[in-house]
Amino acid sequence: MELTRRDLLKGAAALGAAAGVPLTAGGPAQAQTTQKKELVVAQGGDISKFDPHFSTSSNDIRISFNLFDNLVSRRPDGKLHPGLATEWKTQGPTAWAFKVRQGVKWHNGDPFSSADAKFSLERTFDPTMKTRVNTVFTTIERIEAPDAGTLIIHTKKPDPLLPARLAFYGGQIIPKKYVEAVGGDTFNAKPVGTGPVKFVSWTKDDKVVLDANPSYWGGRIDVDRVIFRAIPEMAPRIAALLKGEVDVITQLPPDQGDRVNANASTRVSGALYAGLYVLAVNSKVKPLDNPLVKQALSLGIDREAIVKELWKARGIVPNGPIAKGDNHFDASLPPLAYNPKEARERLKKSGYKNEEIVIETTSGYTANDKPMSEAIAAMWKDAGVNAKVEIVEYSVRAQKNRDRSFKGLWWSDPTSTLGDPDGMMWRLLAPGGPQDYWRNAKFDELGEAARFSIDEKFRAQAYKEMTKVFLEHLPWLPVIQPYEDYGLQKYVDWTPNPNQQFEIRRFNFKMRRA
Amino acid sequence: MRGFLPFLGHRLVRAFIALWLVSTVVFVVMRLSGDPVPLLLPPDAPRSEIFRVRAELGLDRPLPVQYGVFLANLARGDFGRSIHFREPAFNVVRGYLAATLELGLTAFVLAALVAVPIGLFSAMRRNTLVDHAAMGVALVGQSAPTFFLGILFILLLSLKADLFPTSGRGDWRHLVLPALTLGAFTMASIARLTRSAVLEVLGADYIRTARAKGVSEMWVVAKHTLKNAAIPIVTITGLQFGTLLGGAVVTETVFSWPGIGRLAIQSIYNRDYPVVQCTVFLAALLFIVINFFIDLVYGLLDPRIRSG
Repeated sequence: MELTRRDLLKGAAALGAAAGVPLTAGGPAQAQTTQKKELVVAQGGDISKFDPHFSTSSNDIRISFNLFDNLVSRRPDGKLHPGLATEWKTQGPTAWAFKVRQGVKWHNGDPFSSADAKFSLERTFDPTMKTRVNTVFTTIERIEAPDAGTLIIHTKKPDPLLPARLAFYGGQIIPKKYVEAVGGDTFNAKPVGTGPVKFVSWTKDDKVVLDANPSYWGGRIDVDRVIFRAIPEMAPRIAALLKGEVDVITQLPPDQGDRVNANASTRVSGALYAGLYVLAVNSKVKPLDNPLVKQALSLGIDREAIVKELWKARGIVPNGPIAKGDNHFDASLPPLAYNPKEARERLKKSGYKNEEIVIETTSGYTANDKPMSEAIAAMWKDAGVNAKVEIVEYSVRAQKNRDRSFKGLWWSDPTSTLGDPDGMMWRLLAPGGPQDYWRNAKFDELGEAARFSIDEKFRAQAYKEMTKVFLEHLPWLPVIQPYEDYGLQKYVDWTPNPNQQFEIRRFNFKMRRA
Repeated sequence: MRGFLPFLGHRLVRAFIALWLVSTVVFVVMRLSGDPVPLLLPPDAPRSEIFRVRAELGLDRPLPVQYGVFLANLARGDFGRSIHFREPAFNVVRGYLAATLELGLTAFVLAALVAVPIGLFSAMRRNTLVDHAAMGVALVGQSAPTFFLGILFILLLSLKADLFPTSGRGDWRHLVLPALTLGAFTMASIARLTRSAVLEVLGADYIRTARAKGVSEMWVVAKHTLKNAAIPIVTITGLQFGTLLGGAVVTETVFSWPGIGRLAIQSIYNRDYPVVQCTVFLAALLFIVINFFIDLVYGLLDPRIRSG
């Protein structure tokens, strides 16, 4: 969820121009079946790395989750399934035992064993490696591989979410022998994994070519070859789909869905994003240190209108800090309310003295960030808030993020990395976390306790209470939980994964054959 | 050839000064634009890690020192290591250069081959329907933004007419739309300038004299007109090469063409100073070299320029 998001809207202006040109479904076969043995995917940007421990960007993980396997796999249904581990269970409060799959071979023919898994996981947090995923496995104390088929992971405290952590980025297993023999740079240039596809070639800013792994343990995938093309502009990306040059496109903007669905041979498929788009709040600056002001701001946002108008209904209104689809999402809570009258009341009660409240928005970092900012500022003005929108470039945002120097509010699109509030709300809002701008003793105590409890009932109660505190203090103003949409040829049978893993294993992808 | 060597020397010195100025401006502008380190590290990286990476990249040193190192390395042809790709910047840029040269030269040749005859023809048929139509199209070519033309071509010639692929690099068919898009502005400029240069020459006394002598119209055009109109045409053609390099940034993005224009944009977003510096330096070098040769050509075409 980094960098690449801005690619999404880079061509918005261009597309606006293009939209004026009427379009009939041109091109070939309106076939709903195909004999193609090649899957071509167009995404909004080129990849930057193959080494899975050095990137978490969505363009990269679409590929790395298919070159490599994790011990545990999170499927599009949101549940955890066996990966390179066939089963796992706790062994006392602070240890997990994994049975490792036998008979698996790396793409270069070497046998896979639990030693590879131990090596991989330790590499992620090895301080000399300086990986980009060094914070994923901070709960691990040590790892043992007593025999080729067993892996024991000892955690510092009870860690109920360890299997979930192993299923996402950082958890891709890499080959010990090969990496040690060739070194990190060669491994990154010529990656070897156990996954359903193996590396063939990469032409920078053009395409990545991958071949099916014929002896994949999960079954050979339905095509011989998979190609990922980088088409940064939205309009040509959509044109390539409509013309049948590519089979799948990523990052389809909400206002283009009708066009793809109207074309006889293509369709839209989306998954509710495993995360939220929120306006993060610097609760340290006045008047945003006052909960009443933040409540007023939240009540002043007409989220229904934003979902309907700016997102063409491709999203839902959140009801708190936990994304729908995650553990402990409370379906009984109502969606966040819009009540401009009440907003005015609370502003008055708060003693708000018409201080300027600034949204520092990027333009195209997340879909619709700038239009949403403008809409929200207008809604706030109606409610009596002196709101202002300032546009900052992506790298300026990164800098402000680092310096914690935001003037007021800014867009954040937290991904729920574990399918659990621990991997989103607590990962970001915890003391010392990336968005530590607000502290509350009760919230902190519960968050810490829930992280290390294996009692799901306790955790459920903790997150319920944390949600209550959250809704009073609003360290984030959740705005929308959008759909992540893809455009597909109708002959492609495939279900998107809410967390942007691009799953092409046999259980999730096939081409319809005549 | 008296006076040609000083002329050459003078031009060379000017070329070097231009290169130095370009590199300095890029160096300063890139450093004004922000810090690359937050983009390299995860958002929750500790401060110590940030300082370590800054030191590793030499970004903790005072700006004048960084500039000195930059110039010294530049003199040795060393552009530094790419912050993003972690390999020598020149190697990164070299990987993209072929694609841009292929696109740029095709667009350039296409533009020149189409534009000069059109300009000439328009001038000869001045104020006829053909002239107005040609210059009308040229006006559109000159004023339509590149991204608009590119997407228009994709929609009409690729999606509707199914003549060419929508984007990407491959065989010659992949080259047509991006070259046409990139060359449009240059083509229009050269056509318009050719027309006015030819018109100016056609009004000159020696043309009237030639015609009065009974020289055939073909010969009047080929020998007397074209040769004299060539100087401004050659000049604009050289200058247009810079426009082509600039236009490549947009064209390559629209057509997902893996060239240095796109690389430059991505590298600016990534604050990858060495790659941006190397890209701009090579582009400037190319532009200066081409214009240097054009200066020479025109010194040969018109001896008066050498002394001027």
